[in-house]
Amino acid sequence: MTAASASRIRRPSLALRDPALFFALVTLWLSLGLFIILPFLRLLQATFIKDGALTLANLVKVWGKAYNRRAFSGSIILATGVSLAGTLLAYLFALAVTRTHWPRWVRWLLSSITILPLISPPFTSSISLTLALGPNGMLLKALGLGELNFYGFWGTWLSETLTYFPVAFMVLAAILSAMDPNLDDAAFSLGASRRRMFWTVTVPLSMPGIANSLLLLFGSSLADFATPLILGGHKFPVLPTQAYLQITGMYDLRGGATLSVLLLLPALLVYGIQRWMIGRKSYVTVTGKSGARSNFATLPRGLEIAMVIVCGLVALFIAYLYFIILWGSAVRVWGVDNSFTMEHYAYVFTHGRKAITDTLKIGITSTVLGSLLAVVLGYLFQRFRFAGRKTMEFVSMLNYALPGTVVGIAYIIAFNEKPLLLTGTITILVAAYIFRYYATGIRSVMASLQQIDPSLEEASMSLGAGRVRTFMEVTVPLIIPAVLAGMRYLFIHSMTAISATIFLVSVRWTLLTTRILESMTELQFSQASAFSIVLIILVFIADIVMGWALRRSSLRFGTTQETSYDNTGA
Amino acid sequence: MTTPALELQHVAKVFRKDRDIVRAVDDVTLVVEKGEFITFLGPSGCGKTTTLRMIAGFELPTEGRILIGGRDMTNIPANKRGIGFVFQNYALFPHMSVFHNVAYGLKSRGEDPGRIREKVGNALELVGLAQAVHRYPNQLSGGEQQRVALARVLALEPSLLLMDEPLSNLDAKLRLHMRTEIRRLQKRLGITCIYVTHDQAEALTMADRIMVMQKGKVEQIGTPQEIYNHPRTLFVADFIGQANAIRLRTSGYADGKAWAKVPGGWQLAARTSGGTILEKGTEAALVIRPERIRLEADAQAAGTLAATVAAATFVGSHVEYELDLGEGNTLKATVPYDPNARLHQEGARVGVRIDQESALFIPIEAKQG
Ligand SMILES: Nc1ncnc2c1ncn2[C@@H]1O[C@H](COP(=O)(O)OP(=O)(O)OP(=O)(O)O)[C@@H](O)[C@H]1O
Ligand SMILES: [Mg+2]
Repeated sequence: MTAASASRIRRPSLALRDPALFFALVTLWLSLGLFIILPFLRLLQATFIKDGALTLANLVKVWGKAYNRRAFSGSIILATGVSLAGTLLAYLFALAVTRTHWPRWVRWLLSSITILPLISPPFTSSISLTLALGPNGMLLKALGLGELNFYGFWGTWLSETLTYFPVAFMVLAAILSAMDPNLDDAAFSLGASRRRMFWTVTVPLSMPGIANSLLLLFGSSLADFATPLILGGHKFPVLPTQAYLQITGMYDLRGGATLSVLLLLPALLVYGIQRWMIGRKSYVTVTGKSGARSNFATLPRGLEIAMVIVCGLVALFIAYLYFIILWGSAVRVWGVDNSFTMEHYAYVFTHGRKAITDTLKIGITSTVLGSLLAVVLGYLFQRFRFAGRKTMEFVSMLNYALPGTVVGIAYIIAFNEKPLLLTGTITILVAAYIFRYYATGIRSVMASLQQIDPSLEEASMSLGAGRVRTFMEVTVPLIIPAVLAGMRYLFIHSMTAISATIFLVSVRWTLLTTRILESMTELQFSQASAFSIVLIILVFIADIVMGWALRRSSLRFGTTQETSYDNTGA
Repeated sequence: MTTPALELQHVAKVFRKDRDIVRAVDDVTLVVEKGEFITFLGPSGCGKTTTLRMIAGFELPTEGRILIGGRDMTNIPANKRGIGFVFQNYALFPHMSVFHNVAYGLKSRGEDPGRIREKVGNALELVGLAQAVHRYPNQLSGGEQQRVALARVLALEPSLLLMDEPLSNLDAKLRLHMRTEIRRLQKRLGITCIYVTHDQAEALTMADRIMVMQKGKVEQIGTPQEIYNHPRTLFVADFIGQANAIRLRTSGYADGKAWAKVPGGWQLAARTSGGTILEKGTEAALVIRPERIRLEADAQAAGTLAATVAAATFVGSHVEYELDLGEGNTLKATVPYDPNARLHQEGARVGVRIDQESALFIPIEAKQG
């Protein structure tokens, strides 16, 4: 691939003109075909084709069951609720961090605490909410609430909101701090009050970010599998868990596939709207050279008071949830025998050892291979013109746009029989992670290449360096920050994601996340907590190391690489 | 005398960032009369913007008082001052049409819709953009955005109009045009105006008076001619126009004139800056404008200094010479180009005739220069 050439002149055949590029494209199309197109088509086939004929029978049958219809509306209602509450909460946090004159450590603390849910496995808040508000819940006892059945919509909604609002926070904080403070000054000197300024300038200019985070959270909640599985219960079915139970409980692959296709429709709709919005030129970016350094105006007093209360309580609550999980991991039996013990950790490091090493192996392999692939694809998409480029770009991102459950079901359908009997192998686990979570890497590589003038590469070639050397010595060092950002995202998700891989694990390869789920279903809360703590610590360390490397490399080249944690479809 | 439109009394601003302390503005005192056009001129970072932002109310002064129309406004917030501010990047609201941008301030005031429509129309008429009411800022050229920004503040009929390098984002041609345009509007409406720039041509052509600043301090306040012909400090002489400065020790003083021995060997008499008395032996700079120097082919001509031409550059209407006076002294001279005369070649000996009326002694203070 690296020896390929960018040629814009039409000439007979790519295979003759540029064999290296041709070979690279064929290889890439084959792997995209195998791991993205094929599973997707097999999923559609399982849903819409029966006995060799196109049919809606499956859909009709699934839709005919009232419980499934409830799962569909449950998914939509939950996603709407999470999207609204999460965006509101994120906006308050983002305002507090970017727009207030609160002491710096307070703002630092607020933005740090939002990182925790981002790097934690998707179960974390469900587990700690169970410990706090579930049977024998600590907070219940402390508040003297007695029995409160929070399983169902409210528990799921609360847990997902806390888990996903940090994604929206990042989007909103970015847009709030990118605004021109001179606009505040302008409004102010034109006689506007703080209130009027906030509602006529700040809020309208945040609209693109607000819309984006509404969609992002809607998509995340729609695709979330772990939370409703633990907290949803029977009363509150949603599509991903329903599809999972259909397959694992009733061995009904077709029914599961059909349910996941139902999930696909709103998910693709949301993804489509999001892409369309990004494509539109946003007016926020239209500002000239800014003049003086200036500060954002003070927010309306009432709003600040509300922010102090909400952000304070939520931050405290999150901290409490993490504390409770730490505590829960070190007591004998939660709520019954609260004496201190390390036996759960002992268990994790003996019986759970294989899960730890397997998870690390899979995480590291996915990260390394996935980021290599991301560099290659990002480079191709950004620097080369070839037939089918747009299609290839779309296809390569498809698994990222799909909810994890859909991908997982598509994978078991596609890879469950010979000659592609891959379920249960490390190959399929790694492939599932790579083709889902390399998307951030591809995007950031493309973005950073876009900022590197092609004349740099031309300069290198005119100085006598070959294509390979130019790529290795000029291009690669410049995109390292982007690659690191992609790796960070890949690693976090390959360590913590479960929605796709739950269908693909086997006795040969176990994951920490599946062990957590098992412990939870066996009501071994303390064990689940210990597993979670170990996983959080592993990811946290890796995240800090990679964050440090990222900052260093960005500093060195004077570029800034935004880090993306976005959690869509974890 | 009527009350001045604006008064700054010993205004200072100190920024604290971490352990850094920056005295961005230091003891600025200024009185602006109604209808005056003042420019703040100075190098980057000298505190022009900070001073302007304190007048607008975006920053509070650390020390001193600000009076607007005789009222102490030091602690009044920006939205209660009734001052117009035009930003370097225009700061138009990108999500509002031109109409709503211009109407923004009127709505803040709670005027009724009919009046607002009328006033917005008038303001846009004034800047010649009546046809663009329904467009958005990103559909306007830089010059048009600039006019909208102007209309937006003019609609409020402010008592004071502040502008921070309003033309610096425009191309050279448009800049020249907008200069006269702004000046015309300001005269017609009789608005008191303060205009920040670091472009001396802009300051000289537009201002009634210029305040030259350096490192947060006022160097000199005066009309363009005063600043040009009677710079108080070497910094002002150098910053406004070009200036040769020859370091000398004076050998006498009488009646506002000092004299000193120049490198040619004879005594040259010239005014002292501000008519200050320079005692014999004071270290001073003799400041001579390059365009106040004439060259003669005869190096021995009476009343001239002998010099060697070090470089001659033809720039069209003028020829710029670099002259070597010996003893490490050099002079720049700008001589009108005469197509009928030959240029003095490099290495030629020439006689340098200095217009003594325009030359000026500026004492060199201990730290300066
Ligand atoms: N908000 C601030 N915090 C800290 N220092 C500041 C701040 N604003 C300005 N300064 C400092 O104050 C000094 C004066 O800045 P100011 O913007 O007034 O300069 P200026 O004359 O307008 O320069 P320019 O021509 O570059 O616009 C500079 O040293 C600047 O770094
Ligand atoms: Mg400035």
